[in-house]
Amino acid sequence: MRAEMFRGVPWLALLVLAAVGICAAGGEALLPFEPGELDLGAAFKPPAWISGDWASPLGADNLGRDILSRIMAGSRVSVIVAFYAILFSGGIGAVAGMVAGYFGGWVDTVLMRLIEIQQSVPAIALALILAAALEPGLPTVVLVIVLTYWAWYARIIRGEIMALKGRDYIAFARVAGVGTARIFLRHLLPNIFNTLVVLATLQVGQVILFEASLSFLGLGIQQPDISWGLMLADARQYITNAWWAITMPGIAIMLTCLASNIFGDWLRDRLDPHLRQL
Amino acid sequence: MSGPMLELDGVTKHYTTRRGVVRAVESVSLAVQPRSTMALVGESGCGKTTLARMILQLERPTAGAIRFEGQDVAAMRGAALQAYRREVMAVFQDPYSSLNPRLRVGTIIAEPVLAHERPSRAELDKRVAEVLDVVGLPATAARLYPHEFSGGQRQRIAIARALALRPRLMVLDEPVSALDVSIRAQILNLLADIQAEYGLTYLIIAHDLALVEHFSSDVAVIYLGCVAETGPTEQVFAQPRHPYTQALLAAVPLPDPDHVLSEAAALGEIASALDPPAGCRFHPRCPHAMDICRTTRPLAAGSPHITACHLPRTSLP
Amino acid sequence: MLLSVRNLQTHLHLRRGLLRAVDGVSLEVAEGETLGLVGESGSGKTMTGLSLLRLLPKGSGRIAGGSIQLDGQELTTLSEAQLARDIRGRRIAMIMQDPMTSLNPVFSIGDQVGSPLRNHDIARGTALRGAVVDVLRRVRLPSPGERLGDYPHQFSGGQRQRIVAAMAIGCTPRLLVADEPTTALDVTIQVQIINLLRTIQDDTGAGIILITHDLGVAASLCRRIAVMYAGQIVETGPVRAIYRSPSHPYTQALLAAIPRLGAKRGRLTAIAGQPPSLIDPPTGCRFAARCPSRMAKCAEAPPVVDLGDGHSASCWKLAS
Repeated sequence: MRAEMFRGVPWLALLVLAAVGICAAGGEALLPFEPGELDLGAAFKPPAWISGDWASPLGADNLGRDILSRIMAGSRVSVIVAFYAILFSGGIGAVAGMVAGYFGGWVDTVLMRLIEIQQSVPAIALALILAAALEPGLPTVVLVIVLTYWAWYARIIRGEIMALKGRDYIAFARVAGVGTARIFLRHLLPNIFNTLVVLATLQVGQVILFEASLSFLGLGIQQPDISWGLMLADARQYITNAWWAITMPGIAIMLTCLASNIFGDWLRDRLDPHLRQL
Repeated sequence: MSGPMLELDGVTKHYTTRRGVVRAVESVSLAVQPRSTMALVGESGCGKTTLARMILQLERPTAGAIRFEGQDVAAMRGAALQAYRREVMAVFQDPYSSLNPRLRVGTIIAEPVLAHERPSRAELDKRVAEVLDVVGLPATAARLYPHEFSGGQRQRIAIARALALRPRLMVLDEPVSALDVSIRAQILNLLADIQAEYGLTYLIIAHDLALVEHFSSDVAVIYLGCVAETGPTEQVFAQPRHPYTQALLAAVPLPDPDHVLSEAAALGEIASALDPPAGCRFHPRCPHAMDICRTTRPLAAGSPHITACHLPRTSLP
Repeated sequence: MLLSVRNLQTHLHLRRGLLRAVDGVSLEVAEGETLGLVGESGSGKTMTGLSLLRLLPKGSGRIAGGSIQLDGQELTTLSEAQLARDIRGRRIAMIMQDPMTSLNPVFSIGDQVGSPLRNHDIARGTALRGAVVDVLRRVRLPSPGERLGDYPHQFSGGQRQRIVAAMAIGCTPRLLVADEPTTALDVTIQVQIINLLRTIQDDTGAGIILITHDLGVAASLCRRIAVMYAGQIVETGPVRAIYRSPSHPYTQALLAAIPRLGAKRGRLTAIAGQPPSLIDPPTGCRFAARCPSRMAKCAEAPPVVDLGDGHSASCWKLAS
């Protein structure tokens, strides 16, 4: 039974995610250097295996800041954004999807129209407008992502609820006079919980990529905060003489997204094989 | 209390779909006496399940009234509705879809109780154990999940759940048709025992005529949303008056190699409720159809054996 | 003998273990005869039918032993290609329970009824249309000539089952395996399909194996009955012998457990308990745990007792 549970666990992906998590949680204690510390003498220091040294294994950027330290520090923004964005978009989407799917009628029609409108607004345009209207920064990034993704959850959860609603145990609960709140909590929520977990896991990679894109465009995290997207933006103009400054955070983004997608795929196959079309 | 426990008076249900109006149930009037078993029989799509769903307040009639002990069910709100929901329970066909796979059996059975009362933990456990005992399952079953039981056992759990609040009326929607032959008899006997012991009234929906004859005291034969014939089961089965009832009975293959089946009684296909035939809905398939059958809907006549047919009573076979 | 099955063993390799779906089934079907294979879900009756055509679940299903002979030709040793060319749909055809899943929704019924005729070189080119109309007429589909271009959803359930039957009989198979052909249908439609199967048999002289859980349907169509329980045939014999003087306790219990039209109301005789798992079946008689006349001897495999007239049952009670 135990061995069965762990069959085919993607250990490598889990390891990457664990590393990201530890960096984000461990904070300054782990960092080899102060990530904001300037050392112009070390500017454009290449990675250790080229001609640098092991003090800065991944080299340094245009201002001599240690790239490894900055990637580790930047992971915190990625994790925080992913956490809040998924919590809120998943929460709002799940509630909207459950309400629309269960009650149907005009509630469903209104929510479905909202979802359709939402899904036809370009995410970048939304980000530009919000960044202009509000202060760019972490809360705005989360807001943009939530507004972009809640509809995705809502649509899928609504479909699940419509299928669940036809089950006879829901009909019985209504016949027996069980309250709507209890039907939601005891019958509907536990049965969509797996779906929610799978959707959330699959979304981690997308959210991190989204945050990086927004920060890269200057619509997201602002200096002196550190984010992977911001590191890409900073290093863009030096790509010809210090390729590592842009490549290393790029690899960090790629590895994290890949790991979370692989893990999400595995989780989906384990918990909910019928979701495979997602 | 005298008089019927449940009374349907001209109950009608129309659904508006993209393809038109589906006339699922058309002016059905029936009375169910206390402690009796009323069976609704008919072929798929005849509206018997829709009728049950309206009685269970899962859907509202388009027209007509459903009265429970004289009170209009559709008009019930708040406390009156909760009281109704406490008296009327259901057992559904599919024992897999009727139990939430994520709840333990004990929680499943306790659910209707908790919707109406606030018993102590110990008292609740005792009541769950009691009803499990009534349906022939050990008290330890309460700690297990539905998937640990076979189809027949699950149906016992569903019956225990419906019984937990000691309701007065139970709607049984094809309660054994998903089960194997050797298990069906167990469940039917159990339901009969429970009815005798608790004085329950049953409304059973079934398509198996032999089961209906065996299990029910009264029967209503439904064709395309209309009651063709209703009355005491013994009378209806011994002397079926409506040509549709006769066709149904003639078409049942008996477990007897010398029995000859008759197809002649109902030729052709069942019409669609989307565009039901005018007049008597059975006329396109009826071997006795007359001109009046094509234009005028027959009125229900007789008591207690009621038939809706234009054929003169005397000439009815 | 048209079909002769000897000691058939069909295994399903599941994650939970090896399931002996069919465990030593022997049966015979003569030309023009209908054999009813009667049993509850999981008794192995459908797996027996699928084994004849080797249409077992891909990957997990396997015929592990025994022989299947059609007109004296051994089928278990044939290659997939030979089976597909000479047997499936040609000499043995199948009618399944749900006509909707047997028919492809995107092809017209003319195409679907015609395709086995084309594949097995029965009719080609201009003759094909005529042959298809002819087959559809034989299954009593109303105005077949005008409906060749219609799609499955344009027909009613009973008509679809007629079309499925037409696909099966197009190549005049020697043996027809009908797996619960009327279960998805209403009674007034069911009687039409029962009569159709009878007509098909009279017309073609094919042997029919009717797989069903419904003792009424079996009685109305079959000349002989084989009762299956937990992967084995427990009793077989002429239809009258089975219904009038059932000898195996399971057959007796099954007949006593069903409500009968026209019979007196009263308690049904239920069979206690449930069938055993076929992953690790009990040694000895498989019905023993539920049997009212169980003896100590039942722990050993029961002998097949010949009761005369082709009626036999596997039970210790009958052996003494």
